[in-house]
Amino acid sequence: MNPDIVEGFSQASQLSTLLSTAIGSLLGLIVGMIPGMTISMGIIIVLPLTFVLPPDISIALLLGLYVGGMTGGSFSAILLNIPGTPSAAATALDGHPMAAKGEAGRALGIAITASFLGGLFSFICLYFVAPLLAEIALKFRSPDLFSLVFFGLTIICSFAAKSLIKGLLSAVIGLMIVTIGQDPMMGTARFTFGQVNLIAGIHFLTALIGLFAIPQLVDNFAAPGGKDATHRPQTRLSRILPRLADLKSLRLPVAIGAPVGAFLGILPGAGGPIAAFISYDYAKKLSKDPDSFGDGAPQGIAAPEAANNAVTGGALIPMMTLGIPGDPVTAILIGALLVHGLAPGPLLFLENGGFAYGIIFSFFWANIFNLFIAFAGLRLLVKVLATPKAYLMPTIALLCVIGSYALRNNFFDVYVMFFFGLLGLVMRWLDMPVVPLLLALVLGRPLEEHLRVSLISSQGDVSIFFTSPFSVFFLALAAVSVFWSFYAGRASRGTRQPPGP
Amino acid sequence: MRKRNLTAGAVLIVLGVVFAYLTSQLPTRAIENATQPSFFPWVITACLLALSVALLVQGLLPMTSDRVSSPPTIPRTRYMVGLALFLAYLAALPALGFIAANIPFFALLMILYGERRPVHVIGGSVVISGAMFFLFRQVFQIRLPAGILDAIVP
Repeated sequence: MNPDIVEGFSQASQLSTLLSTAIGSLLGLIVGMIPGMTISMGIIIVLPLTFVLPPDISIALLLGLYVGGMTGGSFSAILLNIPGTPSAAATALDGHPMAAKGEAGRALGIAITASFLGGLFSFICLYFVAPLLAEIALKFRSPDLFSLVFFGLTIICSFAAKSLIKGLLSAVIGLMIVTIGQDPMMGTARFTFGQVNLIAGIHFLTALIGLFAIPQLVDNFAAPGGKDATHRPQTRLSRILPRLADLKSLRLPVAIGAPVGAFLGILPGAGGPIAAFISYDYAKKLSKDPDSFGDGAPQGIAAPEAANNAVTGGALIPMMTLGIPGDPVTAILIGALLVHGLAPGPLLFLENGGFAYGIIFSFFWANIFNLFIAFAGLRLLVKVLATPKAYLMPTIALLCVIGSYALRNNFFDVYVMFFFGLLGLVMRWLDMPVVPLLLALVLGRPLEEHLRVSLISSQGDVSIFFTSPFSVFFLALAAVSVFWSFYAGRASRGTRQPPGP
Repeated sequence: MRKRNLTAGAVLIVLGVVFAYLTSQLPTRAIENATQPSFFPWVITACLLALSVALLVQGLLPMTSDRVSSPPTIPRTRYMVGLALFLAYLAALPALGFIAANIPFFALLMILYGERRPVHVIGGSVVISGAMFFLFRQVFQIRLPAGILDAIVP
C-alpha cells in the first residue's frame, strides 16, 4: 500500500486530530443552523485558533466545520423555514412542510442521513480522483498553469455574478489589490506608498474577514434582539432515527444528489445551492409521486441534502490538486494551509503526500462525526436557535478583530480588515458580488507569476499559450465559461417576468 | 440601480486613471527579456478601464435591469452609530489594549443589538471579553497587547 495513505490515515486518526474534527463538526452544526451565520463566518471565527495549532489539527477542525455547517444549515431550514446556509434553501421546500405536520424529528433524521451518504460518496470521489488529477497536473508547465488559473477566475466570475461586468470588475479590483507589495519576480515594492506594513502585501485572510463579517454584522443591526416572534423553533422533536421505509425511499434521491453534488463541487463557482436545486428537480422528475414534492416528501429533503454535502468533497478536489478554490470556504482552507507554509496544488501530493492523504481522511472522519454528533446531540443543538443576537454578534466582532491581529501580530491588519468591511458594504450597495474579488486575491499572485514566467521563457511571444494542448484546453474552457455566462444572463433577462402590481 | 451603475462606472474610471498614473511611476529594471514590475498592473488597468466604461454604458442604456437584491432594511442612525462605534474602537485599541477597549465595545454592541438589561450588558461584556482575552493570551499564546492594563494583566 502507498505509504502516504498509511501516514495520512494515521495522521487523521490521532486522538488530537479526531478531537479537533469532532469539535469542528459540532461548531459547524451550530454555525450552520443559526440563520444569518454562514460556514465562511464559522471558519473566520475559528481562524485565530488555527494559527497556533499544528496544520493537521487546524485543517481537521476546518473540515469538520465545513461538513457540519452543510448539515446544520438544514436544521433551521426544516424547523424555521429559514435556511441556515444558502445550500439548505432547497431542503426547506419539503423539510418545513414535514415539520409543520409534526414530523420535525423525521425530517431532521432524513436530512442527517442523506447528508452523511452524500458526504461519504464525495469522500470516495476525493480519495480516488484527487491523486490522479494531481499526477496529471504535475505535467503542467507555466503556460498551462496560467491558463488553468485564468479559467478558474473566469468560471468563478461567471457563476458568482448576476451581472457579468460586475463580476469581472470585482475580480479586477481583487487583482489590483494583489499587486500591492513586493513584485513576485523582481522584489521591487509596488503601491506601498512607503508603508512598511504593505511590503508583504494585503493578507488574503484579513481581507476575507472584513468582506464577509462586517456586512453580516451590519445586517444584523436590522432586527435587534435576535428573537423573531414569527419564527419560533420547534425544539420538541419526535423520533429522529429514520425508519426502514424512509431509508428505502432515500435510495433514489441520494443516488441522484450525491453524484450531482460531487460533480458540481469540482466545478469552481457552482457550489451547494445549485447542486441542491438541480438534485431536487431531478428527484422530483424521476419520482413515482412527484405531486408529493413541496408537501413534505422525504425524497425532497434527501436529494438536496445529499447533494450539498457531496459538494464539499468535490470542492476539495480542485483545491488540493490544482490550488483552485471552488468556493469561499475552500479559498479560506487554502489561506489556512498557506499560513502553515503548505501550498495546495499537485506538489502537495508529491512533497507532502502523507499530509495530503491526512486531509482526505480527516474529511472522512468529519462525515462520520457529523452523523453521530448530529443524531446524538440534535435535541440539545436545536436549542442554539434561540441564542440571542446581543451576545452572538459582539462575540463575532471581537473574534474578527482578534483574528485579524493574530495573523501577523499587527494592528495594521485590523484596519485593513475594517477597510475591506467597508468595501464589502459598498460592493453590496452596488449589487457587485464579493466572491470574485476574494478568489482573485487567492489566484492573482499565481496568475501573474505564471504569466510572466511564460512570457520570459517565450521572450514575450504570447503564442506560447496556444502551443500546449493543456493550455489551449483551459483557455477554451475559459472562453466557454464567459460566453455561457453572457448567454445565460441574456436568456434570464429575456424570460424575466415584469414585476407584479 | 442605473444611477448607482453610472456612479460606480465613473468612480472606477477615475480609479483606473489614478492606478495608471501610479503604475507609470513604478521603477523599471534593465534585465533583458524580463517583464517589468509594471507589466501586470498595466494589464489590470486596461481591464479595469474597459469594464468601467462598459458599466457606465450599461447604466446609460434604457434596457438595463433595475432589479437589485435588497439587503435588510437598517435604520440609518443604527447603521451610522454601529460604524462610528467600530471606528472609535479601532482608534482606541492600540492605546487601551485588547481588554480595556473590548469591554466597552462589547457592551455598546450588545445595546446596539437590542440588549437593554444593565446586568446582562455589564455581566456579558465583562465575562465574554475577559474570557476571550485570557483564552487567546494564556491558552493559545497569542500576545494580545493589554495596553493601559499591561502592568496588572498576567
